[in-house]
Amino acid sequence: MTDTATTVTEDGPGKPARPERAGKREVWLFYWAFSIFYTALSVGICLLGRATPPPRPDVDALQATAWFDQHQWGIQVGFVFLLVIAGGAAISNGMIGYFMMRMSSGRTLAYAYIASMGVGAIPGFQLLLVCWLTATFRPDREPRILYLLYDLGMLSYNGSLGCFTAAYTVMALAILYDKNRIFPKWFAYVTIWQIVTEIMATQMWLYNSGAFAWNGVITLYIAVVVFGVWIICFLALFRIAARRETAQTPALYEPEGAR
Amino acid sequence: MTTPDTATRTRPPTRGRRLPGDVDMWVMILGDLFIFGGYFVTYMVFRAVSTEEFTAAQRHLSVGIGVTNTVVLLTSSLFAALAVIAVREGALRNAQRLLWATGACGALFTLIKAYEWHAEISRGYTISDEFFSFYYVLTGVHLVHVAFGLIFLGVAVRELRNPRRRRPAIVEQSVLFWHMIDLLWVVIFALLYLMR
Repeated sequence: MTDTATTVTEDGPGKPARPERAGKREVWLFYWAFSIFYTALSVGICLLGRATPPPRPDVDALQATAWFDQHQWGIQVGFVFLLVIAGGAAISNGMIGYFMMRMSSGRTLAYAYIASMGVGAIPGFQLLLVCWLTATFRPDREPRILYLLYDLGMLSYNGSLGCFTAAYTVMALAILYDKNRIFPKWFAYVTIWQIVTEIMATQMWLYNSGAFAWNGVITLYIAVVVFGVWIICFLALFRIAARRETAQTPALYEPEGAR
Repeated sequence: MTTPDTATRTRPPTRGRRLPGDVDMWVMILGDLFIFGGYFVTYMVFRAVSTEEFTAAQRHLSVGIGVTNTVVLLTSSLFAALAVIAVREGALRNAQRLLWATGACGALFTLIKAYEWHAEISRGYTISDEFFSFYYVLTGVHLVHVAFGLIFLGVAVRELRNPRRRRPAIVEQSVLFWHMIDLLWVVIFALLYLMR
């Protein structure tokens, strides 16, 4: 790795200098953008939009309509806010891609990660917002149409996991092959847990109740705990990796001979 | 292999001072056991709620196939443990053979499981039954782990075939993961096939 500077300081020669944190201000800027985006996402999805924990999957059309009516304001405020800041997902994916490009495993996996997450954001994020906002801004529509939007939003949000599985797979592969140790190897294994829970979540298409429904213990709650562990670990490792970025760290697109 | 086995003989590690494999793999194993523990507890809770239905559905599983698969996996773990001993003693050719034997048992386990799934589905026992939902999901996720385990065993064999590498820790890591697969299967077998 080329990111740890050792210079002569007032303490005398040979002593390692503190990394120049100001050297990569944009990395820190995007680190905080990433953290703030995920916090805002949690508030919008969980507290206001009520998508996590999810509503019951075993309701009928009238109950779904009543549920939209009951949570109309929260969904509208939370999801309109999320639609405005949806671009934050691209910044987050780009930041992860930046660190993956610093890995010796090559840039192809970084591009694959960014592309998979970018495509996955459409069914896994945008479609939920669009479906439920349509339902709450058009409450005069027939209950069976609102019922479809209720199901479509939740199944798309929690059940469209192929892109995320691909993204986590390439991320785990990149870390395992990386010799620069940008992220530790154990984080690749934590990412593999994510792949397993994403595969388990596909079961929610088949069940309306029980452990495998979209509000089930296995498909949702255990998966949420694993995701929580993953994101906490990731933010901590992200912070460590950002701290290593100094003014001496070469640019990603600098010609090879200039390094 | 060009290097004689005796030339790569390494000193046995001091007892109690070294962690087999590496910390990263232990994080994976302990976390995986925690997640599977959650699945097992969930199964037992749902079973306790509908004991009669689960017991009736369980009778359609073949205990003989379950026992066969258990014996196959336990044998594979024996081969894997012997492979680690062989690597530590520098018997690299023998270690490779034992890892191949471990992988072959894993492939046989997968084939038997595929046959069992085919037989159950052919007789109409599908995910429409709650017990069989758990059966297919738990054994399916376990099979995904078997696939990961076979990949890790392949990495270990490749490590031993390369004269410039041959790090015992890599073999230990893949064997640790394989033992975890074995342990998980023993619990799954007890829960799905035997628990009444």
